[in-house]
Amino acid sequence: MTRRRVLVWGGLAVLVVGTLAWAAWPSSGATTPASRASELATELRCPDCEALSVADSDSTSAEAIRADLLRRTKAGESDAEIRQVYIDRYGESILLKPTSNGLGLIVWVLPVVALALAAVGLALAFAKWRRQPRLEATDADEALVQRARAG
Amino acid sequence: MKHPARWAALGVAVVVGSLAVVLASQVSTNPQAAEQQSRLVGQTVPRFTVHTFDGQTLSSRSLAGKAVLVNFWNSWCIPCQQELPSLKMFAAEHAGDPSVVLLGILRDDTVGAARPYAQAEGISWALADDPGAALSLDFGTRGQPETYAISPGGLVVGSEYGPASVKNLDTLLAAAQSHP
Repeated sequence: MTRRRVLVWGGLAVLVVGTLAWAAWPSSGATTPASRASELATELRCPDCEALSVADSDSTSAEAIRADLLRRTKAGESDAEIRQVYIDRYGESILLKPTSNGLGLIVWVLPVVALALAAVGLALAFAKWRRQPRLEATDADEALVQRARAG
Repeated sequence: MKHPARWAALGVAVVVGSLAVVLASQVSTNPQAAEQQSRLVGQTVPRFTVHTFDGQTLSSRSLAGKAVLVNFWNSWCIPCQQELPSLKMFAAEHAGDPSVVLLGILRDDTVGAARPYAQAEGISWALADDPGAALSLDFGTRGQPETYAISPGGLVVGSEYGPASVKNLDTLLAAAQSHP
């Protein structure tokens, strides 16, 4: 592999890893009880709506949950404890994002496994194609083409 | 590696097979049935105090020792209106039994709208407001009507989502009465 190619692939790898790390890095900057409650409200599904978060719904239930979230964050409950309260009441379906354990882990792991398999498959295919000798036109081939073009 | 394509296919098959096994073992055979059962069943009833339309105060403590059916409803919901004849029949059957309580809790409605409706319909059981939907939240309700059976010992022993028939209500009551 040439030095230039190594640089290109290395740069690409850094870009991909950097993007993934940036995307996966916890973005929560919520520190006050109100901002934590607001962020939790975006994670919970409104129980009597079709596909809205508690933050986006104006139903009575959503309003009650928003008030409850604020009360709990002010009382010092952690985000994990609050999520668990709602899972205990409604089940995992109350979470808009699947959990990263149990069955929910599959949702996160499967795409990574699929990507890894695809990458391995491509690497194997490229290696196989590289091993195949390039076809070169022989003098006989050139003559055949010349005759065909001359008509 | 002699046959990379075969190995790749085997890898995919292993992943898909593992996924199928996990799904088969962890997901309920009838997800809808799981959704029809409250997570509260088997747990102690949330502590509550409510004020009825006629000025009484009822609480989880004052109702201890009785079999209680808590019905979340509102006056504008059609399924609640469809359920009303069953509730009336059930209430009439147990009107003389002080050990049985039917308690209607307003869910997403106002007393101003529900009181005249209740009077017009001749609702005889206790009806109470739920300011801030606190009780509705504590029970983990998803809509209305929903009915919960509470044993004399304060255990939630059954739930019914949607309009309950008299038979459903009797089943809930029997479950409540069969628990200490």
